[in-house]
Amino acid sequence: MPTDILLEVSGLSKEFPVHAGLLRRRIAVLRAVQDVNFSLRRGETLGIVGESGCGKTTLARCITRLIEPTSGSVKIFLDGSGIDILSLNGSELRRYRRNMQMVFQDPVGSLNPRLPVREIVGEPLIVNRVCSGTELTNRVAELLEMVGLSGVDMHRYPHAFSGGQRQRIGIARALALQPDLIIADEPVSALDVSVRAQILNLLSDLRDKLGLSLIFIGHDLSIIRYVCDRVAVMYLGRVVEVGSASGVFAKPRHPYTEALLSAAPIADPAAQRKRSRISLSGEPPSPLNPSRGCAFHPRCSYAVDGCRENVPELRSLALDSSAACIRAEELVLRGIS
Amino acid sequence: MPISDNVIETNDLRIEFPTEDGLAVAVDGLSLAVGRGRIVGLVGESGCGKSVTGLAMLRLLQPPGRIASGSILFKPDTNSESVNIAELPSDSEQLRKIRGAGISMIFQEPMSSLTPVYTIGEQIAEAILIHSQISKREAHARAVELLRSVGVPSPELRAGDYPHQLSGGMRQRALIAMALSCSPKLLIADEPTTALDVTVQAQILELLRSLRESSGLSILLITHDMGVVADSADEVVVMYAGVVVESAPVFDLFDNPLHPYTKGLLLSIPGAAGRVGEKLRAIDGTVPDWRNRPNGCLFEPRCSKRVERCRIERPPLRIYGDSHKAACWVISKEHGGADAD
Repeated sequence: MPTDILLEVSGLSKEFPVHAGLLRRRIAVLRAVQDVNFSLRRGETLGIVGESGCGKTTLARCITRLIEPTSGSVKIFLDGSGIDILSLNGSELRRYRRNMQMVFQDPVGSLNPRLPVREIVGEPLIVNRVCSGTELTNRVAELLEMVGLSGVDMHRYPHAFSGGQRQRIGIARALALQPDLIIADEPVSALDVSVRAQILNLLSDLRDKLGLSLIFIGHDLSIIRYVCDRVAVMYLGRVVEVGSASGVFAKPRHPYTEALLSAAPIADPAAQRKRSRISLSGEPPSPLNPSRGCAFHPRCSYAVDGCRENVPELRSLALDSSAACIRAEELVLRGIS
Repeated sequence: MPISDNVIETNDLRIEFPTEDGLAVAVDGLSLAVGRGRIVGLVGESGCGKSVTGLAMLRLLQPPGRIASGSILFKPDTNSESVNIAELPSDSEQLRKIRGAGISMIFQEPMSSLTPVYTIGEQIAEAILIHSQISKREAHARAVELLRSVGVPSPELRAGDYPHQLSGGMRQRALIAMALSCSPKLLIADEPTTALDVTVQAQILELLRSLRESSGLSILLITHDMGVVADSADEVVVMYAGVVVESAPVFDLFDNPLHPYTKGLLLSIPGAAGRVGEKLRAIDGTVPDWRNRPNGCLFEPRCSKRVERCRIERPPLRIYGDSHKAACWVISKEHGGADAD
């Protein structure tokens, strides 16, 4: 095990029981996340992409234990030794959780409107009894300046800020406990285009300055490509491809990745209109009744009989390139250059 | 395309919302046109007035919002007279006919535009029955045909489904079918794919383009996504804080953006080609608050190219070359601007 690994997720699954009827009987199981494995190096940014309902947010919440995973392990490596976060409880869990913080999509819903910014950004410091009083005020001012706001902003309430500024407050709160890992769940999706770039630049500056590792969850491929070193593509609860961002975009190894790349419009009419499109028929199936075999096969133009039999495993194909497709070696798929 | 043959054009349109804190000007002297059979992309960030413009074209502004001045000329056919929608009485028969049969609109969130208590087929048939004298049975058959034409699989069955039984993409298709039920001349599509996944977005955009090809439908495509515009629009109108800052044929706009805001917008998009590792060039600051709109150029406070004049006087939309217009004082002389109309 290389020592620079920060996080190792193995066999992580989350099932939600579905209840219905008068007696609230359990009628089905929704497998939101299934057998997810990946590792994250220190200082690395891993992107998790996929369409709505593919389980990317559930995965993020399982890693931080905001929801309890059904099975698997999430190991965090601090001072050389790995600890499975899922085995921790109470104060121990709180201590390890300080190392991983989340930034949420909705900058309005994730900030308490009744609290001034000082309380919002300082809350993790108060809860964890890191500091209080003047020390807290100074630390909050420092954090606000770090994200491009000013110290005097701490006395204002969230409504006084624009969407981009609120997202900065959310980032300041995430940084308060000096975490090693930040999980950002669609951090710019709710922002306007011209403000997005400000927040993306801020995140990558902070990552470089503070040596953070970042898990960046998103659906916008151009942003993922810009921000991330490595990318994991999810489809219906499973990681179907993972690899270096440049590799996945230039030379996808899973047909779903190819389709996703082909569907995302490029902001250049000349290039966009020349592209040959792979139009996927149909829509993502419900995770309540996935098809047998590879979950993607009903929409896949490369599907063969073998695809209907077993769920393909995520296999290593080359250095830092894995895909869960039985035809991964023989297919020549188109990326974007 | 003869210049005069526009399905719709607005001239110096001003839309206001009186509030307790004063008058909010949502759209301020807007002139734009949609040529017959064209797809015009109307782009801008939230609050720039693009959706309100779409609503005003159907006179659907929520009171106290109102059209304060300017005209909205709708010309259903090449040879027909144009009607000033801005001046029609809100309860007039003429306006009722234009809504649906002349101009129709689809929205971002298809679920909130459909009623949950009727089937898709019933809702489409209802729209048809309001505007034409045919039997219920015929209207239903027409609804099934429309669903088929927008790519809904097994339309006979789906017509009997309630909205919640359909996926987001299918609901948007059903909404498009409803919008097309009375063969409108103009479709206003307000962020039609924003709530959809990329693979489904690609399908819906393809559908809109094919409708234009097959039936000559004109489309005003309101969006914040430059990728969507690059994919589907013929012409692009860029709005900022209630005014048009630039308009041009799509290739011109992307190859040679003139206005600093358009340039900034294009540069702040993570490029699909290369540029990895390079810093994104963000536009500093935020859109001006409606309570204190700058008197001069609205983009001046955020603009890196500003000069003294920008703060004092608002630049008019001037024409550069054949059909490229921009409203900026500092566009270099080499482009040779002349006052547009």
